[in-house]
Amino acid sequence: MSRLDDELRNALRREDPGEDFTKRVLERAAALPPKRSWRERLLAVFGPAGNRWAAGALAASLLIGVGGIEYRRQQRMRAEGEAAKAQLMVAMRIAGSKLRLAREKVMQVGEE
Amino acid sequence: MRTAMTTESDATPAECPPFADIVRQHQGMVFSIAWNFLRDRTLAEELAQDVFLQLHRHLHEMQSAAHVAFWLKKVACHRAIDCARRRKLRPQVSIEGVPEPSIPAAPGDPLLSDMLRRLIGALPEKQRMALILRYQEDLDPAEIAEVLKVPVRTIKSQLQRSLATLRQKLGRRLGEEIV
Repeated sequence: MSRLDDELRNALRREDPGEDFTKRVLERAAALPPKRSWRERLLAVFGPAGNRWAAGALAASLLIGVGGIEYRRQQRMRAEGEAAKAQLMVAMRIAGSKLRLAREKVMQVGEE
Repeated sequence: MRTAMTTESDATPAECPPFADIVRQHQGMVFSIAWNFLRDRTLAEELAQDVFLQLHRHLHEMQSAAHVAFWLKKVACHRAIDCARRRKLRPQVSIEGVPEPSIPAAPGDPLLSDMLRRLIGALPEKQRMALILRYQEDLDPAEIAEVLKVPVRTIKSQLQRSLATLRQKLGRRLGEEIV
């Protein structure tokens, strides 16, 4: 071991932070908010027990409302699809009858 | 022994001493790592307090007294390095800017210690922290590597480089006896 090692040990020796250090740390630790689990934190979002029911009812109402709107949107889209299908069928029938008529005319001309 | 200052969340695992005792036992180590690294007493004390408060929040994860000591050492080192980077404390003086003593120093000379501390303060962060853990905490390179999460060979080369720098700087005026 060299003298440099000794001098480094001396220069880098431990020092005490002072008498009140522990007290100050414990005071700050005592002032910290208590550590809560994720479940407690989630429940805390909704506040006291009375508010929890209100918040639950509100959440359920929102869910039902959004579900109802979505259901009606789906129904409307289905009805529109059915109407479009019916229109297409009518158009096909008209086109078919026109084609039949044209064919008959062509046949008549051919016979003459 | 628990004091009136202890809090509810001081509940430590059976293998760990109470929080207040942990603070008393390790405050010198944590504060000195910060103090020797930052050379700013106020910052060092603030950092040491923050390290213990962080431990307070993670106390339930501690498995043993040895685990607590290792955790404190590791967190103190990393926080000190972060703090220095954030506040751009390094280098307060360049290593060339540290004045050399004009007369040979006697063993344990406070002037020599002061000069050494200033030379250490001018070293790059990683080298400085490795040196502090080597000479303040008396850790071997493998233990330092574990605390700083770097390969052992990196620590060995950092220690060699920092000692070579210090020898070179000190050897000029203090002669061969110091090295």
